[in-house]
Amino acid sequence: MEHRLANSLIMTVNEKKFIESALLSDIRVDGRRPFDYRNLTIRFGSEDGSAEVQLGQTQVIGFVTGQLSQPYRDRPNEGSFAIYTEFSPMADPSFEPGRPGETAIELGRIVDRGLRESRAVDTESLCVIAGKLVWSIRIDLHIIDNGGNLVDAANIAALAALSTFRRPECTLGGEDGQELIVHPPDEREPLSLILHHFPVAVTFGFIGKENTVVIDPTHYEEAVMGGSMTATLNTNGDVCAIQKAGGDAVSQTVIMQCLRIASVKAGDITSKIKDAVESYNTQRSLRKIKRHNPDQQGSSDVAKRHMERLTVGSDQSGIASQFNEHDKTNKRNSTLKGFSGGPASWDPYSKGVDGDALRTSLASRVAPVDKQKEESSQVNPETKSNPKSSETNSIALTHEVGLERKQSKSLKDAVKPKHKRRNKSNAS
Amino acid sequence: MEAKPSNLVDQLVVPGDVILDLSNMANQTLKLGGGLRQDGDSICVMKAGKLRFMKPNKYWVESSQKRYVPSAGDNVLGVVVDTKPENFLVDIKGPALAFLPVLSFEGGTRRNIPKFEVGTLLYVRVVSANTGMNPELSCMDANGKAAEYGVLKEGYMFESSTGLARALLSSPPHPVLEGLGKKLSFEIAVGINGRFWVNASQSSTVILVGNAIQKSESLSLVQQKIYLEKLLKSIQ
Repeated sequence: MEHRLANSLIMTVNEKKFIESALLSDIRVDGRRPFDYRNLTIRFGSEDGSAEVQLGQTQVIGFVTGQLSQPYRDRPNEGSFAIYTEFSPMADPSFEPGRPGETAIELGRIVDRGLRESRAVDTESLCVIAGKLVWSIRIDLHIIDNGGNLVDAANIAALAALSTFRRPECTLGGEDGQELIVHPPDEREPLSLILHHFPVAVTFGFIGKENTVVIDPTHYEEAVMGGSMTATLNTNGDVCAIQKAGGDAVSQTVIMQCLRIASVKAGDITSKIKDAVESYNTQRSLRKIKRHNPDQQGSSDVAKRHMERLTVGSDQSGIASQFNEHDKTNKRNSTLKGFSGGPASWDPYSKGVDGDALRTSLASRVAPVDKQKEESSQVNPETKSNPKSSETNSIALTHEVGLERKQSKSLKDAVKPKHKRRNKSNAS
Repeated sequence: MEAKPSNLVDQLVVPGDVILDLSNMANQTLKLGGGLRQDGDSICVMKAGKLRFMKPNKYWVESSQKRYVPSAGDNVLGVVVDTKPENFLVDIKGPALAFLPVLSFEGGTRRNIPKFEVGTLLYVRVVSANTGMNPELSCMDANGKAAEYGVLKEGYMFESSTGLARALLSSPPHPVLEGLGKKLSFEIAVGINGRFWVNASQSSTVILVGNAIQKSESLSLVQQKIYLEKLLKSIQ
């Protein structure tokens, strides 16, 4: 019996009375006003499609993955998505491992309804071969810390993760044109999902007999409140979903007032998510530019040798200063990255990348590009470094196919400043 | 004979440190408190924290955590979770629920047993706490008087770590607590188990004091003074 008692939140009668009386003077226990949200921070993981949201003390991690699968029979040209929630026992003493409880299922349903019924995620763009192959997206929401208002935090995590998720590009190819090729991320830039709008969930708690409304209730306020309502809205002024399951009766005027407040808050939260996603995307494209060397030993060997020769060449020509700018890049390129032999996580069909095959394909691509570079090369004093740098450039070029770059900074720029303008026009 | 205190007193120690070597000390009794263990001829540290010494011969390790380890003589804040014919079951943030005998009140007899509902906040004293057994509490001091023990009405209870609770009870007084006390009027009860209760005539005062104390835990002494100044200015 003692263990059961230990699992629930132990509240004193003083707390309930105090929360209600403090609300009469429009103040909450953590110093907020009734319609203030807690501090919201959105962070992204190293992989595309992972987001960590912190709302006050509540922490939720959202993770989006995609797999190719057969579509539903009644919707042959639409992809699908599913939401899985996991309430980790470390979040709250009342969370048990194993099957999700009532609150876990309710949370999953609210987030799911907001995204599915409002058609926020464009499922038709997830179709690859109608009737046979579609992308099925899986959203995992992990509750790490329960500080109250899990629904809002989980919803934001889902939206942030969906905005940064990238799926590999698939084309039909092969000998008969019927074979599906899933392109690795360094070959073709993976595509992001199409989100038509952002359905943001805003939760209200009704505390006390006068039904004072508070937004974003904390853990203690949730234990004290008589009822709650979650409204999912977007910035276009649409109400996507409303959840009021049981609890105290609330008058219509209060509901309408809550919806009006919720639309304002939804706007704030949407702009915060969009800002965070944008800064993540710019960082991501910066990372893509620096990373020229693939994870294969063969080509990195070649690159290393070229690096050494280039250092000599550049010293002689006196553009060492420019070279030093991209020192970090070079160091990264020259460290031999071991070939990681596991199947790539982005590719649902892969059995692993074949190092030899890739190496030979790269080598075969080097030759034609080489000629191209030499044709475009102007007469310049560093004739010695010319052939070597062009080989490096060709290797770099193969990995730039399909890459969108906001800046044209690359390895080539470090070595041959005169080619900067040329390459800009080539790449764009 | 007075023992020469260990040269690690008032310093941070980690498990494995040897604070005293007994081979060259004879005919002395030492009292070891929490976090220390005798290993043959040496006294070793078991818990990370600050080593403390009190004359003539008491050593213990002080550390701050969220859970409380009950020990006899502590004054704690407990919450009633259940009533039994013989005892009240009280939660004191320890590994086991504590028992508060129904008669451990000043002038308590079978006829006037207090009626505590679930969730009542009490300021109690730990009478005995042995590992493996439920701790025993009392609402009287050692002489049988009520003293300050009993029900705490109104106000709000905040959670803290055991380190902050000790800091609030120490002398010289905690700077934030002292500073707030000079400007605002409130009453506060601190339990060494990591709970403190604040009451004032206005809810805003209670909230201010409670949050200020909670936030000051992670600040150094100098930062605390600066924080206090800013806070008092914003009230005025």
